[in-house]
Amino acid sequence: MMWLEILSDGFFAAVAAIGFGAISDPPMRAFPSIALLAAIGHALRFVLMQWGMDIASASLCASVVIGVGSLLLGGRIRCPMTVLFIPALLPMIPGMYAYRTVFSMIMFMKTLDDPTLGAEYLQAIVRNGFITFSVIFMLAAGAAAPIFLFNKRAHSLTRDKKYLRK
Amino acid sequence: MKTQAELKAIARFVAEYATRLMGSGVHTSRVVRNTKRLGEALGVRVIVSAFQRVVNFSVFDDESGEVYSEVVDIPPLPISFELNAELSALSWEAYDRRLSLEEIEARYREIIARPRIDPLFTLVVVGLANAAFCRLFGGDWFAMSIVFTATLLGFFLKQGMQNRGFNHYVVFIASSFVASMYASVALTFDTTSDIAIATSVLYLIPGVPLINGVIDIVEGHVLNGIARLTSALMLIVCIAIGLSATLMIVKSGLL
Repeated sequence: MMWLEILSDGFFAAVAAIGFGAISDPPMRAFPSIALLAAIGHALRFVLMQWGMDIASASLCASVVIGVGSLLLGGRIRCPMTVLFIPALLPMIPGMYAYRTVFSMIMFMKTLDDPTLGAEYLQAIVRNGFITFSVIFMLAAGAAAPIFLFNKRAHSLTRDKKYLRK
Repeated sequence: MKTQAELKAIARFVAEYATRLMGSGVHTSRVVRNTKRLGEALGVRVIVSAFQRVVNFSVFDDESGEVYSEVVDIPPLPISFELNAELSALSWEAYDRRLSLEEIEARYREIIARPRIDPLFTLVVVGLANAAFCRLFGGDWFAMSIVFTATLLGFFLKQGMQNRGFNHYVVFIASSFVASMYASVALTFDTTSDIAIATSVLYLIPGVPLINGVIDIVEGHVLNGIARLTSALMLIVCIAIGLSATLMIVKSGLL
């Protein structure tokens, strides 16, 4: 049962990543890697959150895995890391929290003359806005970390080894 | 040793290469690195400073002491990961095989002439992607089908308006309003309608500038990073405006 949920989570994340990636016109050879990374990353986040980890930390773990994965896969198909990990991260954007932030903002403005209700909506704005912000920041920072940690390798992924010059 | 004319030809090509990369949504440090590598392959030293709208650079010939400087505008191009990958590979190939300027330029022309992914194909996969996204947030199959059609409509509108050269912000507000308004038909059925409305605008999220902005800041191109994040934020505000317009109209159904 659990396995089925994890697999379907990974599958839908892969579909989402391929579609959102297609907007940015990646090379055709990059699609399998993008789908694989997105599925692994999102399924990992799903599992971690099932175990009780909060969404920001789980996103950080998943994005680091995606970042390292793009470093490992990038060399074989000669794609820079960003080409692989940006589409793979997109399915993890916390859309519902972003939506609830906007919705609470509108409701806050609509209930200005009711302080109790207003306070509730204000709390919802801060809460959802903060979650949205921290998850997006963790995603970007986590996936980019391997670029700085493995500088030399990350910078020569598109180099064709057969022409290597000493 | 380069003649004035050779140096000028190299500078002209380097200018085109660097602005093409910047315009296609490549983070700043990669543009700088690739351009320097390309310069090294051609036997010159290149110093680049790239901004959001303009690239400033100098080409040095260390043997003769000649310097050639130029400032060039960055054309507003669509984001292209393919150019990012292929032009990066080209700079390595030029460096490793010591290609001449003519050879590099021929390869460059061939790479930028390649067609982009068919817009119709993109339209369909973006629709599927957003429907899958709806599923990830817990939407049911009916909500997914609504999101799929809403995305087709919104993205089609976005493509059409962009081709006609509408202002960026207007395009984003209009597409997010149309997609979310269409998705609000879910309210009349018994389904996860709030998830459908929330997901219907997410295909607009400017993920590339958001992540490039963070990378730029961490790598020390702080000004560029902030500029990228600010422009991404402006687009997100536009999405929120379009979504808000829908919510104001239908909010009684959501409470």
